[in-house]
Amino acid sequence: MAQSKDFRDWDQYRWTAPDTDWRKASIVSCGIDIGSISTQAVIMVDGQLYAYSNMRTGSNSPDSADKALSWALEDTDGLSQDDIQYIVGTGYGRINIPMAQRAITEIACHALGANFIYGPSVRTILDVGGQDVKVIQCDEKGKVINFLMNDKCAAGTGRGMEVMADLLSVPLVEIGQKSFEVDEEPEPVSSTCVVFGKSEALSLLRKGWSIEKVLAAYCRAMANRIVELIERLGVQREFAITGGQSKNIGVVKRIEMLLNIEAVKTEKYDPQIAGGIGAALFARALFEKSRKSGG
Amino acid sequence: MSSFKNWSDNRHDYAREWKKKTGGKVLGYFCTYLPEEILYAADVLPVRIFGQHGSDIGISSAHIYDMYCPFSRSCLAEGLKGKYDYLDGVAIAQSCMHIRQAFWSWQKHLPVEYSYYIYMPHGVQSKGRYEYYRGELVEFKESLEKWLGRTISDADLDKGIDIVRKNKESMRKIWEFRKNDRPSITGLEAMEIVFSSQVTDKREHNEALEQLITELPDRKVDRETGTRLMIIGSEDDDREFTKMVEEGLSLPATFVIEDHCVGSRYFWNDFTPGEDRLASIARWYLDRPPCPSKDWPKRLRFSHIKNLIQEYKVEAAILMQQKFCDPHELDIPALKTYLDELDIPYYLIEFDVLVPAGQLKTRVEAFLETRVELV
Repeated sequence: MAQSKDFRDWDQYRWTAPDTDWRKASIVSCGIDIGSISTQAVIMVDGQLYAYSNMRTGSNSPDSADKALSWALEDTDGLSQDDIQYIVGTGYGRINIPMAQRAITEIACHALGANFIYGPSVRTILDVGGQDVKVIQCDEKGKVINFLMNDKCAAGTGRGMEVMADLLSVPLVEIGQKSFEVDEEPEPVSSTCVVFGKSEALSLLRKGWSIEKVLAAYCRAMANRIVELIERLGVQREFAITGGQSKNIGVVKRIEMLLNIEAVKTEKYDPQIAGGIGAALFARALFEKSRKSGG
Repeated sequence: MSSFKNWSDNRHDYAREWKKKTGGKVLGYFCTYLPEEILYAADVLPVRIFGQHGSDIGISSAHIYDMYCPFSRSCLAEGLKGKYDYLDGVAIAQSCMHIRQAFWSWQKHLPVEYSYYIYMPHGVQSKGRYEYYRGELVEFKESLEKWLGRTISDADLDKGIDIVRKNKESMRKIWEFRKNDRPSITGLEAMEIVFSSQVTDKREHNEALEQLITELPDRKVDRETGTRLMIIGSEDDDREFTKMVEEGLSLPATFVIEDHCVGSRYFWNDFTPGEDRLASIARWYLDRPPCPSKDWPKRLRFSHIKNLIQEYKVEAAILMQQKFCDPHELDIPALKTYLDELDIPYYLIEFDVLVPAGQLKTRVEAFLETRVELV
């Protein structure tokens, strides 16, 4: 029998651009985004995505940063950490990344990363992370104008979805699809508090609800909560979603339906690495600046 | 400067030591509308009752609602835990319902020799307010006289007024140094100055203030000023948060001014002496920059906030609202509009003593990032 921890697991992965020779690059920069659940190390050469890794965050930020960067550097034709000219750390673990020369918040990095991934027309970004939700408004350059964060609890975040995966014995990556396998959309669970949501899900199962129906009710509750936050700040087109939950169609489609706006999509980049991309772009700009000033 | 921090860190030890040294009585009070002048006139040491950031306040849940502000619950919790076991009396001048409930619960569950509720008017803009509050102060004075078994003379009142007035005027002088391009004191130091003023003997505090006034012209603060911030808030004695913003972020920032009762609101207006001492005291408290709970029907403190913004060259504001603080929360939409008109960016924090300051770090840091070019 599968252990409960298996259901919350997701595939960790790495990637290298196949046709890029980093040795010809003027600037190799890196962004390391240590989130509460996942860590990404993103390497860019002259502002273009070159390699990245995405893995589960460990209990120790410096160790997580080291592992993610080492993995991103694998299969990069001899590229080493010494060849990286500037590293920016971001995410909640940003202050504990020994190899980073600068720390910048994930809010600024996600905005810049979304600008890179989806283009300069993006004005509102939703980042649903492991333990928080952020709504960000930015200008055409990806500079943050305003933002809102949920506070205090992990309700409506990736962590809550993990708990539900364990409870219902449904692999995390299948939750989105399964949540649509219902005859009609049920009422949302009354609370997206992780603890109360878990209790209510159990109660619904005892009432005879199918797992799919409970998932639909939970995804809807999570979407409701996120949309409340978005509407407090206001949504402007283009609207983009980043972070791990951007891959959960059960939540994403319900958010789009509630807002009556379709989020921009791309097959080219992984939206979960938006923060790392933003950090790597900041790293590049900061290195250029230091080079110009002779630093 | 270290005295203010030490007093703030060790307020209970200070009060116990004061009692031992002087043989006097210590009275805990719940809101800064309480006329400390009369207590100094009676040789009673007034100490403000504060909560504690990060401390468990669950003990108060059996006595007042959890949807009361964390500050009021935290104050009561500290009492229930026995932290204020040295108090001989408690008193409150009416400000808001939450802190009043904490006072009433304290009266019931932590009996002391003396307790008194002052009917400080909500309507500080009402006609007849001065006469009314003067009458309440007469009754408060008589009540103290009965408790202490002695008369409080005009000479005693002059002494009390002089001690408190000197304290507030000295802090006003010190605040001038925060207007500098490189403020001579940080927001944290400023908070410790006011906090310690509310928990120590002001005569001793006055000596430290006088010393500081002589030192400040030559004092160099070895830090970058960064964004000049203002705190506009409910009660806010959270030194941990203030320190985190000024010392723990990747971008520099300094709190150069504030509008709350552990800051400038405590001492801002001038005292006008008069033959009728209690009338003068009443006037001072009624005319001070009001707490949001009393700032109606006209919002008088908004123009005061505007003046502070201009005088202290404020670049951005942090709106620190104690969670469930209805009076302040009610003002927030109007305050936001007002700050928009002044073109002052702001960030609202719903504050709770239970939330570790670190959780607020990302939000404040991201707010500062919107203010500057990151590259």
